[in-house]
Amino acid sequence: MAETLPDTVTQNADGRPATPRGPRQRLGVRGKAPWRERLREPAAGLLFVLPMLVLFVVFRFVPAFGALGMSFTDYKISGEFDFVGVDNYARLMRDPVFAVSLKATLLYSAFYVPFTVLISIGTALLLNSVIWARGLFRGALFLPYVTSFVLAGIIWRWVYELDGLVNGLLAKADLGPVDFLGDTTLVLPSLAAVSAWKGFGYSMLILLAGLKAIPTSYLEAARVDGAGPWQRLRRIVLPLLRPSLFFVLVIETIGAFQVFDTIYVMTGGGPVRASYTLVFGLFDQGFRFFDFGYAATMGVVLFAIVLVVSLIQRFILDRENT
Amino acid sequence: MTAPAEAALRRRFTLANLSLTALLAIVSVITVTPFVLMFVVALTPEGAPTLPAALPDRLTFDNIERVFSAAGFTRWTINSLVYSVVSVVLILLTASMAGYAFAKKRFPGRDTLMWSFLATLMVPFQAMLIPYFVLVSEMDGIDTFWGMIVPTLANSQAVFLMRQFIRDLPAELFDAAKVDGASEWRIYWRIVLPLTRPILATLGVFVFLWHWNDFLWPLVVAQSDDMRTLTVGLATLRTETVPLAQIMASAAISVLPCLVVFGVLQRYLVNSIATTGLRG
Repeated sequence: MAETLPDTVTQNADGRPATPRGPRQRLGVRGKAPWRERLREPAAGLLFVLPMLVLFVVFRFVPAFGALGMSFTDYKISGEFDFVGVDNYARLMRDPVFAVSLKATLLYSAFYVPFTVLISIGTALLLNSVIWARGLFRGALFLPYVTSFVLAGIIWRWVYELDGLVNGLLAKADLGPVDFLGDTTLVLPSLAAVSAWKGFGYSMLILLAGLKAIPTSYLEAARVDGAGPWQRLRRIVLPLLRPSLFFVLVIETIGAFQVFDTIYVMTGGGPVRASYTLVFGLFDQGFRFFDFGYAATMGVVLFAIVLVVSLIQRFILDRENT
Repeated sequence: MTAPAEAALRRRFTLANLSLTALLAIVSVITVTPFVLMFVVALTPEGAPTLPAALPDRLTFDNIERVFSAAGFTRWTINSLVYSVVSVVLILLTASMAGYAFAKKRFPGRDTLMWSFLATLMVPFQAMLIPYFVLVSEMDGIDTFWGMIVPTLANSQAVFLMRQFIRDLPAELFDAAKVDGASEWRIYWRIVLPLTRPILATLGVFVFLWHWNDFLWPLVVAQSDDMRTLTVGLATLRTETVPLAQIMASAAISVLPCLVVFGVLQRYLVNSIATTGLRG
């Protein structure tokens, strides 16, 4: 996305346009515009931006730096605090619960990201190759994406429960029961499957757009040269799809580290903290124990992780482009 | 796809193509099944056998009625509507104003400002949750509508989308109005807004869905039952205290606006994700 941003505005060091081209000049009205006229455009620009600027300063910049500031305090819900230096960070390093939450988050991501990316690629490839009812299929596959994670959690909670759908069907076949959400090893893949079901539609569309951008002539030429479907996929489609795939991979990884809603609805972090992920831990510290300083520190760590993932993305992209 | 390629594809309507279509159909049905099951359970009469044991022999709207007669649910629905609709209106207004200024006005610090807006995309909301909460409670905004809505208006995706769209509008339109002596506000109101209607519609749909489906922020900002949104209220419903059919009925009602929006504007949504990468 960042590649499309650079603007071509030329400005002087003091920020004024280097070549003033007001409407008067452009329409051939001669003579120097009065200062009121010259101030009109910057003043209007600033005024139009002002409401959003205030919102951003108060609700984006202040909390972003506030999180960093709070991580060096023992901020309590009463609003009282002392500076404690890096105590919160030291505590995080020693905190076994934080270690558990990091592990749960990494494991969850290890299930979620491959699930989602594989389903997205598979469905995008299928959508791109069928001829009939493409719009209908695309709509059906995209449907879960427009609903909420809470809704997904409520439906799938029932699907997974001991007296729920899957176990009811298993019982008919004299199988089971399988305690999807109560088993410490099954809970994370089960949760990851729910999020994948809810979220893959977005990545599918991104990849579908990537597939559409591949010229059919390439594929036709390869076919004429005797390349089979598998070879065409491996040698032409997937290499040309790399940028979209990469974008999807990064977006989904970042999303996996932020998982919260389904866990709140389906497991509450259990069983025995098997699904106690980073953001769930942050929420727990903040709004159950009201340890704001410590919870804010976990937020900073979350930001650091997301930043590292994005930087790795940039690094790899830059290397590929040169 | 060109016409000859299309024709070639049709000629190759072979067993392979047919099996791919069948596979896609199966995947699509599996994807939609959870919604269908939700509706089936939601419409099952009280006490009647239902999934997974058996399919109900008849369907009823009793559960839907029961859900609405429970005081909390109606209130949550209204709260979700207020949270979503007011946010849509205010974001469309502020983001189009800012987008217009970033696209067409020259003023000191413009590009720095635009970049710093975009930079905030890097910070996940969850990472700022605690200072967010502290800030809003310092302003006495906890458990109020404005405290829930106003912080979510600072939306850089919205600003950036508007700016990209407005930047491509021809400058002559604005210059002509200026020469005619129109005020800046009038140019924005009479020229910018009407011309940006398609992108405003797309953005509006996204903002509606973001807010309607939002959970974490309403969860912490709504302290009393009266301020809960639908997602927050739904998350409090547990099978230990509420019959499953009523939980599913509540869930089914909560998803209806999404289904309507989706049904009517699917093409819009799909195209804007494909072309702009706008993310829910």
